[in-house]
Amino acid sequence: MANDKKLSGLSMALLTAGLVIVFLPLYLTLITAFKTSKESARDFFSFPSELYWGNFLEVVGSNNFVQFFMNSIVITAVSIVLITLIVPLTAYAISRNMNKWYYKTLFVLFIVGIIIPFQVIMLPVTKLMTQLDLLNRPGLILLYVTYALTQGVFLYVGYIKTSIPKELEEAAYVDGCSKFRTYRSIIFPLLNPLTATIIIINAFWIWNDFLLPLLILNKSEAMWTLPLFQYNFKSQYTFNYNLAFASFVLTIVPIMLVFMVFQKQIIAGLTGGAVKS
Amino acid sequence: MKTIDKYSHFLFTLPALLLYSLFFIYPMINGFLYSLTDWDGLSTDKQFVGFTNYWKLVQDDRIVDSLGFTFKYALALVIATVILALVIALLLNRIRRFQSFFRTSYFFPAVLSMITVGLIWNQLFAHAIPDIGKAIGSEMLSRNLLSDPNWVFYGILFVSLWQGLAIPILLFLAALQSVPKDLLEAASLDGASLFQRFRSVVMPFLIPVLNMIVILTAKSGLTAFDYIVAMTGGGPGRMTESVGLLVYNFAFQEFKFSYASALAMVIFVIIGIISIVQIRSLSRYEVNA
Repeated sequence: MANDKKLSGLSMALLTAGLVIVFLPLYLTLITAFKTSKESARDFFSFPSELYWGNFLEVVGSNNFVQFFMNSIVITAVSIVLITLIVPLTAYAISRNMNKWYYKTLFVLFIVGIIIPFQVIMLPVTKLMTQLDLLNRPGLILLYVTYALTQGVFLYVGYIKTSIPKELEEAAYVDGCSKFRTYRSIIFPLLNPLTATIIIINAFWIWNDFLLPLLILNKSEAMWTLPLFQYNFKSQYTFNYNLAFASFVLTIVPIMLVFMVFQKQIIAGLTGGAVKS
Repeated sequence: MKTIDKYSHFLFTLPALLLYSLFFIYPMINGFLYSLTDWDGLSTDKQFVGFTNYWKLVQDDRIVDSLGFTFKYALALVIATVILALVIALLLNRIRRFQSFFRTSYFFPAVLSMITVGLIWNQLFAHAIPDIGKAIGSEMLSRNLLSDPNWVFYGILFVSLWQGLAIPILLFLAALQSVPKDLLEAASLDGASLFQRFRSVVMPFLIPVLNMIVILTAKSGLTAFDYIVAMTGGGPGRMTESVGLLVYNFAFQEFKFSYASALAMVIFVIIGIISIVQIRSLSRYEVNA
């Protein structure tokens, strides 16, 4: 018993040490964002002598930061809405018709998509988007919705198979409900727990994604998302890294707030999604 | 009404079918076709050259080096992730108080974008770590490790772990907590040591999750792009040019579009094999769960 206590104490000590490694970089990011370049050069690690907001003003003022932020919000939000409209609907139709070749083939194609690394399609897709004149925000959204299908359909089909009995809708059909109404008012609400997970997985993926915006939006600055801005901003802070840290803080804070409010759901969603994908 | 409703389920799948055919299947096929040509990606003229690009791939030192780096990185990442995530999960499982606080804190890096994490560390490697090095009189740490050929590998690995451990820790922790308490107590009453208890009682509960973590981590290691772009851009020299970055560079910086397509096909085959293993272990996992 005493041994157990000692182990618990030792674990606590080690975990606290680990916590320093997790949070020190974030702490340094925060304090450096609030210091002038002179002060940072004097001592990188000291707490700022006063909260200097100039770095933030410069990042926001000299760039279309608000625009980039809005781009990220709109792209993520519209993609998520479309994903929640299309993915469960598709999966529902597939899971109720698994005995027909068309649906089975479709299902297999989506599953195969999980395996294929993005590098394989990234070149032809970029060419295609150029040809279709879709190197823009709507184009990017279409790609996100498409690529959310693979894992999404897989998860929904599994969920519907195990937890939505067919009898539910048969009763609705007898009452004269159309298939779409049955789906909308009976099935879709029952999928809510999984839909929450799907929204979380995809929202984080889209919000944080760098490669697709780089391929699709990099040429037109007005369309940049935050990660893309973050990357391109690199060239601006060669001589003043405090600006860099201010830009990091600006991109981390929104996600941190979201995390603090929904931490339980986010942790469950992201870890659950990792297991199931 | 009734006749229209007959096709409803088909209509439900129509948007997905169109999107997927146009933005996934069609490019997939095109990618393979491009790899059989000599197209530079821009000109209107392209010749069918068969498997020439694939033969060139095998003889290209840059690709051999890049594959070497990528495999080494993915392997180190998998080993370090499994060991460290397991140790941290075991520690988390031990403590009585503040468990949810620690859990949440260790998870936090997972929500940040890889590009931001990479850029933050790029700056810390340039400005903070050399300062620490000077303060403690360590010559090794006084340099920017990311521009040091001997250390850049470990620099990137460290950052990948800083963020990449988050989800594996929680997966291991969940598995540890699924171990029945009475089983552990029984083993302990029978005089099993801590290590024996771990090996014979706990380990079987970890195996499915372990499989998952190995495969997920291997996949993310083999397709590494964001961290590399943010921290080294493939340098110093071309030491850290991962295959993910190489495909990008070939196609969009050096206009060897068809060549890059061939390389992408090779990655596909490698990851395809790994993913088949993943799906296998996944179905096993579902039986056990």
